[in-house]
Parts: sequence; C-alpha cells; structure tokens
Amino acid sequence: MIEQLFGSRIATIVEDAITEDEATALRARLVGWQRYTLLDRGSYDFIDTVDEPALFGRLAARVGRRITEARALRLVPGDYILAHHDRLYDDLPLELVLDLSPAPVPCDIHYRRRGHVFFRAPCTPRTLAIVERGPTVTRNHTYVSKLHAGAVVVRLVMLARDDQ
Amino acid sequence: MTWRLGDEAALARAWVSATPFPHVVIDDFVDDPDALLAILAEEAVERYEGEIALFDASATEPATPSFVRVRDSFAETLAPALSRITHKAVRTVDMRAYAYRPGNYLLPHTDHQDGLARVLAYAYYLPSPEPPAGGELELFACELREQEIVRVESARVIEPRANRLVVFDVSDGSLHQVREVVSGLRISLAGWFYP
Repeated sequence: MIEQLFGSRIATIVEDAITEDEATALRARLVGWQRYTLLDRGSYDFIDTVDEPALFGRLAARVGRRITEARALRLVPGDYILAHHDRLYDDLPLELVLDLSPAPVPCDIHYRRRGHVFFRAPCTPRTLAIVERGPTVTRNHTYVSKLHAGAVVVRLVMLARDDQ
Repeated sequence: MTWRLGDEAALARAWVSATPFPHVVIDDFVDDPDALLAILAEEAVERYEGEIALFDASATEPATPSFVRVRDSFAETLAPALSRITHKAVRTVDMRAYAYRPGNYLLPHTDHQDGLARVLAYAYYLPSPEPPAGGELELFACELREQEIVRVESARVIEPRANRLVVFDVSDGSLHQVREVVSGLRISLAGWFYP
C-alpha cells in the first residue's frame, strides 16, 4: 500500500513519437555538448538546457502538463549513468525521455523504486518513455558496451509538471 | 600449493608509496597456478548482472572442499603478512571466482560500505586459455570533499597478467574499476580481507 502511494503510477512507452526527419533535425540542433567525468556517478555528454518550444508544446498537449525542464544526454561506448547520480522529486513530475538515437543500441534506462527495477526503457529511436517520478524513484542508463563500436545514444530528458 | 609474497620490507615500502592509494602488485604469486585453475574448474559460476557490473561469479561461499582449502590457506598465509605490510590488522578473507567474458565489466566504485568491515581488497589473475584484451584494473585518483568525490582522474592501469596478485586499500577514496573485456576470458579470484 505504501509502495502504491509513493511509487510511480505512470510508466509507459509511446512508439514513433516523432518522425525520423524530426529526430535528425533535433539531433542537429543539439550543440554545445559537455563531458561529465565524475566516474563514480556517470560518464556521458550533456547539454544542460534545451529549448524546443514547438516540440514541448506538442508533448505538453499529449501529457496535459507543461514542460518545465529539458536536458540532453549522449552516451557512447564505455558510457553509463548510475542511479545515485539521479535527482529525487517530491512533486511527482512526469519524466519524458525522447529517444533521438540514430539507431538502436543495447542501452536501457532502468527506473528503480527503492533500488529495484520496475520499468525498462530500451534504446529505440523515436520512442517516448513517460514515467512519473517520485521520492523513491530513480533511474540509471545502462553501460554501453565497447563491443558496439560507433554506437551513439541520444536522449532528450524532460520534466512535465502541472501549472499550479 | 604455495603462495609467494616475496620481500615483505619491499612490499611495505611499495604499499606506502603507491599512488593513487596504497596497493601492491605481486607477480609469480603461486607456484602452480594450473593446479589452482583445475580446482576452480569444479566450482559452478552464475551470471551476475547489476547496475555497475556484468560477469560470471561463483557463490559467496566456496562450494567444493578443495576451494574451501584454497581460501583458508590463502587467509592463513597472507593475513599475517599483509597485516605487517599494510599496518592494518586483518585475519579473515572471503573468496569468489570470477569469469569476465567479452562485454563484461565492473564500473568505477569503492569497496567501502558501512556495516561491512572490508579492510583490504585483492584480485588474483589465473592463466587463461584465451588471455583477455581489456579487463585491466584501473585505479583512480579522487579529490574528496566531505566524503563526496568531486574530481576523478585515471592514475594507474594494472593488466590482469596470469599469476599476478593485486592488493589494495579499501576506503571512501579508493575508486577503481575493471575495464570491459573486449575479447578472451579473464579468470580471477577476488574478495576482501577483514579484521
């Protein structure tokens, strides 16, 4: 019962959330990547603030909440992001993760409740994962193997909140 | 089977001067590593897949009497010597066998966990029928602020050479990883020494 109160109540994946042309154009507009190097937490590239008003408007209409934060992540072979690097949220925002990767890569997002994985979002281009965050929900991005030379995972991570 | 640590005084000097944190590397450690490999061949391993790791490992307690004897003899021989070398009193040890195949890894972490009295960590590399590419033990230099790591830099890479033992300090700052194995097979024994 307590789990139901504090756990994530929404966790789903929408296929083909954008077209291939839109994904390509979005990727091209993502510039200014920075490298995160605190390896006990993660190894990846990021853009801290992304502004895509047209896309955010469409997504807001879809989920019935306003996009309040957006950040881009890029992982290449050898990269990962651990759960203890993640933030915790008390206000139950929806997290939207739009997969902008050019091709599928074995690199999942694992959403965890008190450490236990309850939802997996694989790296599938143009999908949109929608997960309600909460004070016990964290996520990690699994390790990208060096056996997949040339693999690139690009994810746009957004938070959607009610207006009030 | 004989464990060969070598010159204790030299190891004690190496321990205190090692960077980024205290450690020693001892080559030609066992007189007959192939006999050890034969013992491990009887030990079942299972897939372990966690947030920071992917590998095959034996159970936390050795399953065969031969492996129990290996662990106990390792502890009896090494604990007194390592206590003198590191000036940290250790007595008991745990031991598991690990197999890292292509795509297997252990991401950067420290072995320090509250409630677990790990004092020293060790890894011993066995001869492999297919020597691995990758699988190195990488040690990181960390800058700590209020027990949080605020800067990380690769400081030493130790090849998993057959018949090599590595012993290193367990602390909040002893960040290390096993780099991904990209080909071959990395076979090791690893665990911790306890008071």
